[in-house]
Amino acid sequence: MSTRTSLWTWSRLSSRLALCLLLGAVMALSTSVAQEAHPLEGESIDMTILGIGGWVPSSLGAEMANDLFKPFALEEYGYDVTFTFDAAPFAALFQRAAASLATRSNEYNIIISDSQWLGALSEPGWIVNVDEIIEEHPELDIEWYSEIVGVGYQEYPMYSGIRWGFPQAGDVVVMFVRRDMLHDEAERAAFLEEHGRELPYDYEDFLEMSYGEFEDIAAFFTRPDEGLYGHAFQYSREYDFLSMWMYPFMFSLGGDIGDFEDENRVYGILNSEVNARAMEINRAWQQYMPPGAINFGIAEIIDLFTAGQVFSAQQWAAVGPAMIPEDLPEEFDVMVVPPPGLIQDDGSFNRLYNVGGQPWVINAFNTPEQMRVAIDFMRWWYLPETQMEYARRGGSPSDAATLNHPDYEDMKPWNRAFKFMLQDDNARDFYREPTYAQLLSTQQEAWHAFASGEIDDAMNTLEWIACEQQKILFDSGASEIRPPAECRQVRLR
Amino acid sequence: MRVRRFIERPRVFALLLIAPALIFFFVWNIIPVLTLIGVSFYNYSMVTGMPPRYIGLGNYEDIVYSFRLWESFGRTLSWVVVTVGIETVLGIAIGILFWGSVRLPGRRLALTLLFTPMLMTPLAAGIFFRLMYEPSIGIINYVTRWAGLGTFSFLSDRSLAFAAVVFVDVWMWTPFMVLITLAALGSVPKAELEAAEVDRLPWWRRLVTVVLPHAKFILMIGILLRTIESFKTMDLVFNMTGGGPGTTTELVALTLWRRAFEAFNLGWSSALAFILLLMAIAFTSIFLFVLNLRRRQQEREASA
Amino acid sequence: MNGSRRLQQSAYHLGLWLVAIIFFLPIFWVVLNAFKSRRDILAVPPQLAFTPTLDNFRDLFARETFAPYMTASVTMSVAAVLIAIAVAFLASYSFSRFKPRGTDFLMFLLLSVRMVPAAAVVIPIYMMYNLVGWREDWLGMTLFYAMFSIPFSVWILKGFIDGVSERYDETALVNGGSRFHVVFKVILPQVKPGLVASFIFNLIFVWNDFLFSFMLGGRTTSMIPVLLSTGLYADGGVDWPFISALTGIYVLPPVIVVFLFQRFLLVGMTFGTVRGEV
Repeated sequence: MSTRTSLWTWSRLSSRLALCLLLGAVMALSTSVAQEAHPLEGESIDMTILGIGGWVPSSLGAEMANDLFKPFALEEYGYDVTFTFDAAPFAALFQRAAASLATRSNEYNIIISDSQWLGALSEPGWIVNVDEIIEEHPELDIEWYSEIVGVGYQEYPMYSGIRWGFPQAGDVVVMFVRRDMLHDEAERAAFLEEHGRELPYDYEDFLEMSYGEFEDIAAFFTRPDEGLYGHAFQYSREYDFLSMWMYPFMFSLGGDIGDFEDENRVYGILNSEVNARAMEINRAWQQYMPPGAINFGIAEIIDLFTAGQVFSAQQWAAVGPAMIPEDLPEEFDVMVVPPPGLIQDDGSFNRLYNVGGQPWVINAFNTPEQMRVAIDFMRWWYLPETQMEYARRGGSPSDAATLNHPDYEDMKPWNRAFKFMLQDDNARDFYREPTYAQLLSTQQEAWHAFASGEIDDAMNTLEWIACEQQKILFDSGASEIRPPAECRQVRLR
Repeated sequence: MRVRRFIERPRVFALLLIAPALIFFFVWNIIPVLTLIGVSFYNYSMVTGMPPRYIGLGNYEDIVYSFRLWESFGRTLSWVVVTVGIETVLGIAIGILFWGSVRLPGRRLALTLLFTPMLMTPLAAGIFFRLMYEPSIGIINYVTRWAGLGTFSFLSDRSLAFAAVVFVDVWMWTPFMVLITLAALGSVPKAELEAAEVDRLPWWRRLVTVVLPHAKFILMIGILLRTIESFKTMDLVFNMTGGGPGTTTELVALTLWRRAFEAFNLGWSSALAFILLLMAIAFTSIFLFVLNLRRRQQEREASA
Repeated sequence: MNGSRRLQQSAYHLGLWLVAIIFFLPIFWVVLNAFKSRRDILAVPPQLAFTPTLDNFRDLFARETFAPYMTASVTMSVAAVLIAIAVAFLASYSFSRFKPRGTDFLMFLLLSVRMVPAAAVVIPIYMMYNLVGWREDWLGMTLFYAMFSIPFSVWILKGFIDGVSERYDETALVNGGSRFHVVFKVILPQVKPGLVASFIFNLIFVWNDFLFSFMLGGRTTSMIPVLLSTGLYADGGVDWPFISALTGIYVLPPVIVVFLFQRFLLVGMTFGTVRGEV
């Protein structure tokens, strides 16, 4: 797989180089064409964006559309566009979108979709294949910061090169740490005495940190009688919350969750010893977390961290503005670092996390006018100055130009860790089959049952998930591989 | 005039009055149920982009072999029995307590306050109880800590979660049973009560021999209505636990919702929905049979 | 009445009020939260002394989503229940007086539809509405809710009409009244408690429905419970001030209705077995 990946990288890089040479000329040409006479000149158009409720990058996108794109379009193209923003939480957004799109409705013109919905949205023909748009507007063929950005947020099937959306927000897991606690002299002395080594001091000390090492620190800061706990990440059964923190343990240990690029095989890959071990490690971390960890989701982690109840917390970089709000108490000194990795069997350190983040997708039932505005909007969104402004407001762009800009890393406290975690060595994405929701809820149910202690046999849990998921893939026609006969005997217990 | 005379004919008039209801019934019940049955024989998912494929009883077979689903059925059964049981007992007790409270100052307001829980949006109730149950910032844990009982992770502890959700349902719907009890007690003829008082019967004898025979019918309807609603519970757990921890509070209505409208697997979901419909019909007919049996018996006694 | 008797009575009344207040307490807490800032809502220990603020309501009314959702809630639930009661009243009169063949069976079928989990009902309706284009449509939604409110209305109203002696009908007919005259002028006024009770009873369910509204409603035809779900989170976690204010406002109309028409509700729930005070 690694050879295939690198081949891909090479071919894409070279094609991109050629494109870059062409880009300047084409861009000049297309802008001059646009300035001549826009077909929508003088019209006023209403557009609706459906995005994720309570999610900083989504609301920023809608906010910037009205604040900045509206005047831009008025001046540049001569039409007046007004954006309405409708939102739903992660777990409900796909239902909201799909229920509407299935009626061929253009109620929502642009949708901020999760990358895992690309299959379910594109197979029934609900969203636009953007390859043609990119061909027509080559300035939209953007150089991303890493390969995973293009593969993760645009492509279905992954690594097929067929694109269905544009990265709206890149996202990765980062770790928020209370530097004031780490720098406290008394704490440092106490930790040194207890463990014979120093507490980490700055960002660099976390670069090679494994969960094993970090466990000492988390345990050290776990003091229930003081209302303080060492760590927090998500275990909630809602949507993909638990899975997103189960995968890093599996990936980092060298496990895999299935072959979704070729024959859609899960059984025999997911149910591995190494994944079972990853599940045990994941589950054990609850002991360093505040009570009720099994229900922690994005919102709970924010509440706990900002209330000073945890020393450290893993969280999506996208909610950085909420994790470090302006009204934090003064003693809070927060540092954002890469989350821990794991030591594989051969002794090597590995940190491989799942990316989050969402693409923009365009409703296929838009009127020609709406389609035109959507494309104009995308072209505007990826202008270097728009992307820079997005970053300045606390959004999370993922194009190479913005992330490699000298000012970028210091713009927000989490930018450095964000950039680090978005590198291809540290990031991957997972399946986006049309049956995504069903595949996901199967594993969420089973892993939640395991994490909560309802069931205790990790290997059996994996077997059950693998059987169920293989069956879903087979029944939906996505895979030729039948679940093996022994699956009939496998029960979750 | 001829038209009028035509309409005035009893048969025509009877049909005319029922017609709107029949139209509603046909368009919104018969057609959908037929659609449901039809789709349940297909492998049909809205999101795979594949045309529906006829698979006969495949979906039903799948459901029969789905052990998780049967566990969920079992859980729903105990959910119905426990919630309706507690609500009935508690509702009747409070209802009897409020019986004869005509002179209570501010009775109308007091009863309104008592009825308020069932007026609250179940979804919102779920959301707020999640906050109240929260171990570190929840108000219920603040009270338990204050009382020296310690902290409980109500919704994340497997041994507590089911009871915690039952508690919320009981809070919401006991008032309904109070309402029904008050109505039922009101249906007891005053004369018989006075007669019993003159006879100086002890209160429990009065309850059993005078009140119960009259109140039974309305109480039974109340229990039937509660059973119906309880069987369908989903909004409440949707945001409170989402079926967790693990599958501790996964009710069958929630499972169906997930399959139908998160995964958009409409074939399978239709099959499950049809099974639930059959169960509903079976349950309702048993219940009504019992109800009618008693009624007929009463009528016979009354005429005898 | 002597002193100890009066004391007993006071204690009894106090007890009754206590029960009512205990049940109301969680709602009171929600309403209280609606007047608190986010920080106060999440404060440990709970803040009883706090500076009340109307900001949450101001924010709520300023949201562009609030007005359309609220309008949909009010218009759709009231219209649907009224339609349902009209349809149900006519049908119940027919069931009660003419007892057409299959009455029992039909009454029973009507009820069993109410027994199935919402998701099961909404699957075929959703497919059907997609086909005929009634999704996201005000009338389509309203009629659906009306259908949903018919069964209980029929059950309640038939009981009440059964309780009205057929002599009334006969007298009116003998005096030359048309059948419509009998239905609307003679019977209708006598079953008022039943009408009010079925109105309130069904209103509670339609008003608070989430599933149907979520699946069948669009941007302008979804009701407040959908907004509660989709607006749950704001930047930085659950949007407690918004949710509290919205829940507080939303529970108010049914509470007022129940307060005003309590007498009818209590009588109505006797399914026509009682005509006087309860």
